[in-house]
Amino acid sequence: MAKVEKKEVAAATPPWKPKPRPIVRLGIVLISHSLLVSVVCCTAGIVALFLLPMLAKNTYISENALMPGSASSMLSNHDISEAERLAKDLTSLNSGAADAGIERRRVLAKYLSDLGVEVGYHKFQSHQNQFHPLHFFSSPDSGLSRENGSCSSYGINVVGIIRAPQADGKEAIVLVTPFNFRKNSSSEALSISIGYAVFSLLSRVSWLAKDIIWLVADSQYGEYASVASWLRDYHIPVFSASSSHNADSCFEGNNINLSREESPGRTEISSGFRRAGTMAAALVLKVTDVKGQLEDTLSVYAEASNGQMPNLDLINVVNYLAVHRQGLRVKVEKFLSVLTWEWIWVLGDTLNFIGKVAGSLNPEWKFGISTPDYVEGTATLASSLYRQALGIPTGPHGAFRDFQVDAITLEISPKVVYTNQGRRNEFILRSARLIEGVVRSVNNLLEKFHQSFFLYLLTSPAKFVSVGVYMIGFALLVAPLPLVAASLYVDANKPEPSSQDPKQKLQINFKPWKWLSAAKQVFTVHAWGVFVSLLPYFISQIPNSTPAAHSIIWFSLSTFGLLVLYLITKSPSKPQKGKWENLKSLTISAVFIGLLLMSVVNFATAQIGALVLVPACLLAQPLKLDIRTASLKTFLRIATNVFISFVAFPPAGFFILKGVNEGFGNMDVGEFWTWLESLWAWNSATYIYIGMVHLPCWVLCLQILLHSC
Amino acid sequence: MPTANTEEENSKSELQKNHGGGGGFTRWAVVAVIFRLALIYFPGNLNLSSRPEVSTPLTSIRRLAEGYWLKQSSMSPYAGSMYHGSPLLLSVLGPLTVKRIEGQPSHILCSLVFVLADLISSILIRATGRKLQIAYRKSLKSLNLLNKSTDSGALSSGDIAALVYLWNPFTIVACVGLSTSPVENLFTILTLYGAATGLAPLAAFGWVMATHLSLYPAILIIPVNLSYSGSWFYPPAPLSPEYTYAPPSKLFRSKEHGKVGDGKSSQEIIFSWRRVFHLLVWTSLWSVYVLVLCSISVKQHGSLQEMFQRTYGFILTVEDLSPNIGVLWYFFAEVFDFFRDFFLIVFHSNILFMILPLAIRLKHRPCFLAFVYIAISSMLKSYPSVGDSALYLGLLGLFLDELADMQFSFFLFCGYVGVSLLSPVMHNLWIWRGTGNANFYYATAMAYACFQIVLVVESVSSMLNHDRKLTKLSTSKLQK
Repeated sequence: MAKVEKKEVAAATPPWKPKPRPIVRLGIVLISHSLLVSVVCCTAGIVALFLLPMLAKNTYISENALMPGSASSMLSNHDISEAERLAKDLTSLNSGAADAGIERRRVLAKYLSDLGVEVGYHKFQSHQNQFHPLHFFSSPDSGLSRENGSCSSYGINVVGIIRAPQADGKEAIVLVTPFNFRKNSSSEALSISIGYAVFSLLSRVSWLAKDIIWLVADSQYGEYASVASWLRDYHIPVFSASSSHNADSCFEGNNINLSREESPGRTEISSGFRRAGTMAAALVLKVTDVKGQLEDTLSVYAEASNGQMPNLDLINVVNYLAVHRQGLRVKVEKFLSVLTWEWIWVLGDTLNFIGKVAGSLNPEWKFGISTPDYVEGTATLASSLYRQALGIPTGPHGAFRDFQVDAITLEISPKVVYTNQGRRNEFILRSARLIEGVVRSVNNLLEKFHQSFFLYLLTSPAKFVSVGVYMIGFALLVAPLPLVAASLYVDANKPEPSSQDPKQKLQINFKPWKWLSAAKQVFTVHAWGVFVSLLPYFISQIPNSTPAAHSIIWFSLSTFGLLVLYLITKSPSKPQKGKWENLKSLTISAVFIGLLLMSVVNFATAQIGALVLVPACLLAQPLKLDIRTASLKTFLRIATNVFISFVAFPPAGFFILKGVNEGFGNMDVGEFWTWLESLWAWNSATYIYIGMVHLPCWVLCLQILLHSC
Repeated sequence: MPTANTEEENSKSELQKNHGGGGGFTRWAVVAVIFRLALIYFPGNLNLSSRPEVSTPLTSIRRLAEGYWLKQSSMSPYAGSMYHGSPLLLSVLGPLTVKRIEGQPSHILCSLVFVLADLISSILIRATGRKLQIAYRKSLKSLNLLNKSTDSGALSSGDIAALVYLWNPFTIVACVGLSTSPVENLFTILTLYGAATGLAPLAAFGWVMATHLSLYPAILIIPVNLSYSGSWFYPPAPLSPEYTYAPPSKLFRSKEHGKVGDGKSSQEIIFSWRRVFHLLVWTSLWSVYVLVLCSISVKQHGSLQEMFQRTYGFILTVEDLSPNIGVLWYFFAEVFDFFRDFFLIVFHSNILFMILPLAIRLKHRPCFLAFVYIAISSMLKSYPSVGDSALYLGLLGLFLDELADMQFSFFLFCGYVGVSLLSPVMHNLWIWRGTGNANFYYATAMAYACFQIVLVVESVSSMLNHDRKLTKLSTSKLQK
């Protein structure tokens, strides 16, 4: 960008310089018309975002080896009746008894070892999620604290492993069923039934090429924690005995030493950790009761931490088998409130109309979309973007993605709560056949999932927007940033007329690079951003305080830090020409770099952030200048600037969004803290983005607005 | 000029703090050292020493510790393919890698050595900068180009360069990340310092050690010779007014006819072959000394030939293709084996091709020539790390006065910041998340190489422009 500018200056003054090259001239044209270009690009970027549901493609199975649904199901009624017997045994145990959990675990282990599979218990302690601001840049295992917790918070997973008869045990497929051993829940028992039915079938079949692991995850401390700790122990062997010893001592205290327990079934139950090969895929199976449904539905949850998604092929296989083989209705999450927005419907109508007109002009152009489809797509897309942007996994499958295993959560909800055994069996049969089909497909895989997309947004279970499409909108949105930065830089660093003075020309003047002072300012504010984002770590250590108190302490400390920084770095001199342009130019560059980085880390965050930050940065101009030349244009600009900078302040934006969705009635200052706490507890990069990119850039925009020029 | 002067003061207030003697520099240097110590003490979970940007197969302290362990168990330190550094470094740093102090992070002694190396480097840069600036001012004065007010208000470029070196995030990361590049950089800087102050033994020692440690500083022999045997800066004075594009050598000759030069400076122009010989004698002395030390060190378990094969041979044949911030690993991972030798020659001669033209064009500015060589070799070397960039970025500060009109400074600054942030993210995407691939990471490496090229090209051209401007100014002065 600076290149172009210099060429321009050079072309103007010395006569012997050759004409700049075409690409340079193109750059000069773009920079000199940066206002027009930025308006066009930003508009196009926002329009492209709303066109995404229209541009979504139908999913297709990309990996040929998967061959979903090509084999007929082998699941029989015998498996299901066995599974139902297990479920009855589990539910019949008295839930009030203190050792019901142990008894249920024993029943399950007995059933599993009767199948002739390897059974093991996995003991774990639930850890509180901790603040690891740099977790993203390190490996999954580093930064884990294996500190000793209290004995009260342990759980035991039951793990069954089927060794594939024909294979070398290098690969495995994981089934996970969350189950709370201490509580009696009919839906969890149903999920155990489905899991057991599939597992008992798989223990007999001859076509297995990968080991099957069934993890019945103890969900009393949350579904995620148990799966995550099992995965951690699976992948990261502990050589020091301290951690397991601690857990053992807890068990001994409770008189349930599992290792010395007599074996109830055919095979030995070991308390040692059992492993199979690397995981090809993982399926988390849950059954929920949702009232008022028209048919049996299957909800697919795929978002893992930091907006990572499993390979699209996994979702495709599930979707294909569920829809075409088992006749389930497949859903992905969507924002229901979007469906009630009037303007989305109007937009959908308009696009529908345009599509029809285009279709009548040339039948080849088939980009029309019906209005309900468009609105549904938008609602799903919005939810997809939001979930990815939050960076919090939507289920236990998120733990797998940290170890590069593709995993999804399948949440099956029956139409009604079945009382009739026949209907119930049919439901189990359909669900189990779905799982069996998916396992059989994944079993066919020769390599890990790689064929299809990892970066995509879903607009419906069978439609997706790939990275190549959604990046266009984002690129258009941020494209004006470098252009405007360059043009501002050119304006600010034009050769001063005084230097034309012949007397001055004779001197060698040691002028430094002018933009350095602005760079210093930008750097200081970003350093402040780092300080602000690290503060919660210390604030959260304060005992016995409410989230509201936390947020107030945080806010006041941050403001205080900013004031101190401002006083330290305040330059005593009078403002000079080109100073705010330089500052704005550097701010825009910082925003550009930050958004670019974030788009690589977590696209959804960058997209949402760009919608706020790009206009805020591009429009920012000292209020003083605008007030001086009072006209309608400047008045509009002042109003927009004030509005945007209010909305862009993270807490303000949060409460406005919350108010729009849930009403402004009951607002609590602590809610913002709680929300951010959830972000950093899950190691979301969004937290770092807010603290180190968004907030500093917002402060810099304010500085530009309040600049005394 | 006074207005320009105040402007300068405002806009560089952070640099202003060092202005006014050594107090500012000392303060900031102490803060830099404390900052490093704090980072060493709280290593966090960044795991810097295993980052590909920081530690290469040549500079990794973990490999050094492994080599030391092999040596201690009576094996050649070069057995296997773990260690590829100097045996001398092994003897000095090796014992420090195994010493543990209770309650302190591991490798703390090594870290302290690296911090010390950084500090000494910055002090040497500062001293070199002083020398350069004095020469520069003197020549400007002799041309009557120096403004009095500028003279009083100007910042010492040596101080700035030293602080840039100390506070450069690259230097800090290389130092805290336990790579041996601070030591390598120290010897390179020592070479330049020796050459600048005219101490032939020191310059020769630095050059021999730097070459021994990392091979690429070998090309610095040309600038060292030029600076030791010629003079540091030749004030250009033209023969005729229309004279604008003449190469500097003509300027020197013309200087004797010019009215501005005094007798003393005209004597400096003569390139003294006697001094070249002097330097070469010292160089060979030190080389023999280092070789003897090395052979004593490796005698028990290997030979000097093995040492050369495993150090220089490893550098030249690019055996290790693990990803780094350079451009060679990806290329040699992709290239067919029967083309490999050909491309090895092509890539290495790339550096050699540039030596002679640059030496001819920039021979009147040996220190700048050294900077250009270092930048080029750190761009094209087989295992580059951020420590190499730290070195040339620090040296860039020495020429702040001359490069004030440099183009693209803003663009380059943003580019360096962007790439150095993007590169770890791409690496994470490729290695840990599995959603990216090697191309993502390599793209940042290429972008980085491009920025380095732009930096070198622009700095050279603005330096030449500066010389032209001096010529023009002295012409117009003479005409009056």
